[in-house]
Amino acid sequence: MRRYWRILIPLAIIALVIVGLLISLRSNLVFFNTPTELAEQPAGDERQRLGGQVVAGTVSQADGVVTFEVTDGRTQVAVHHSGSPQQLFQEGIGVVVEGSWDGAVFTSDFMLVKHDEQYRTEDGQVYEPGEPIEPAP
Amino acid sequence: MTVTTQDQRRGVLDVAAIVAIAAAVLVAFATPPEATQGNVARLFNIHVPSILVAYLCFGLTLIGGTAYLVTRRLRFDHLAVAAAEVGVVFTGLTMLVGMIWAKPIWGVYWTWSARLILTAVMFFGYLGYLALRRAIDDPIARARRAAVFGIISIGIIPIVHFSVLWWRDVHQPPTLLRPDEMQIDGPLLAAFLAGLVASTLVAAALIVRRYRLAAREAELDSLLASADVPVAGDAVTAPTLDGAP
Repeated sequence: MRRYWRILIPLAIIALVIVGLLISLRSNLVFFNTPTELAEQPAGDERQRLGGQVVAGTVSQADGVVTFEVTDGRTQVAVHHSGSPQQLFQEGIGVVVEGSWDGAVFTSDFMLVKHDEQYRTEDGQVYEPGEPIEPAP
Repeated sequence: MTVTTQDQRRGVLDVAAIVAIAAAVLVAFATPPEATQGNVARLFNIHVPSILVAYLCFGLTLIGGTAYLVTRRLRFDHLAVAAAEVGVVFTGLTMLVGMIWAKPIWGVYWTWSARLILTAVMFFGYLGYLALRRAIDDPIARARRAAVFGIISIGIIPIVHFSVLWWRDVHQPPTLLRPDEMQIDGPLLAAFLAGLVASTLVAAALIVRRYRLAAREAELDSLLASADVPVAGDAVTAPTLDGAP
């Protein structure tokens, strides 16, 4: 009998740890919230992560602040990001910004650029840093 | 004569791995840069093959451990440890290349997202497998406990792979291993396949060498264990009384 317990107890502990990890990941480890989710929450001061696509035609830059809107296809949120954006930042690309609400504007000081899972060779549309790129038709 | 033949055969695998690396580098630089990310996306050809080969290695650790528990032959334990060590190296390579890639594209080397955390859990989990082996002297007990560890640890692979589908992540979902069409253009896929062949051959060559080393270590251990040596060794001499005759 002792032998069985020596195997069963570690197995039970491992199973508990894995289940606990998965449950906590499921509820807490969403890396960012969508504009719709954030707009539904009551505005607070706590730092949050907002993720979505940069809306074409909304990007402008002045005094070290980049202003643009992000969308998840349903809701658009205006973002004021202080600091220079990543090289790959452009209209239509996915971004995750970290910051908090300032009225109806999301003010951010930390930005990650998300790229999608597509790897394409585009003749005549090879990305060069520093050059503006036309959004794909 | 047998030794020479084995060495020659192993040499063929080493040469094949080196040739495959050279071919992969040539193919990679003959393909055009990726449309959005440019040349940085060439890291795809190391990053993705490395993690696939790591999955394969940990699968071999599972097979080796299971085969040991069924047959109780230590050679399967040697296969399990060889594959686990190579798998850890390739997991580390995936993370290293991923960090180099993430800095220019995402903007940071590392962030605490599910995919990244779980890959680190896999890395340290299999380091734990290797540490467990170092902690046990008896080869039989070591093989048995490591086999159980190696079988349980395989569960992390589907969690790592599907994490980007289960949770919203900064890491993009799979490009190749997905139910519908692969999201990659022909020339880039060719460069990836060349990288996959090279990585697989390198892993195979390393596993073969590590397997032979494990067999020799076991041989040495059994020779040392059976050798006729004094219990306390030569460092200890019997005490003598002063003035004894």
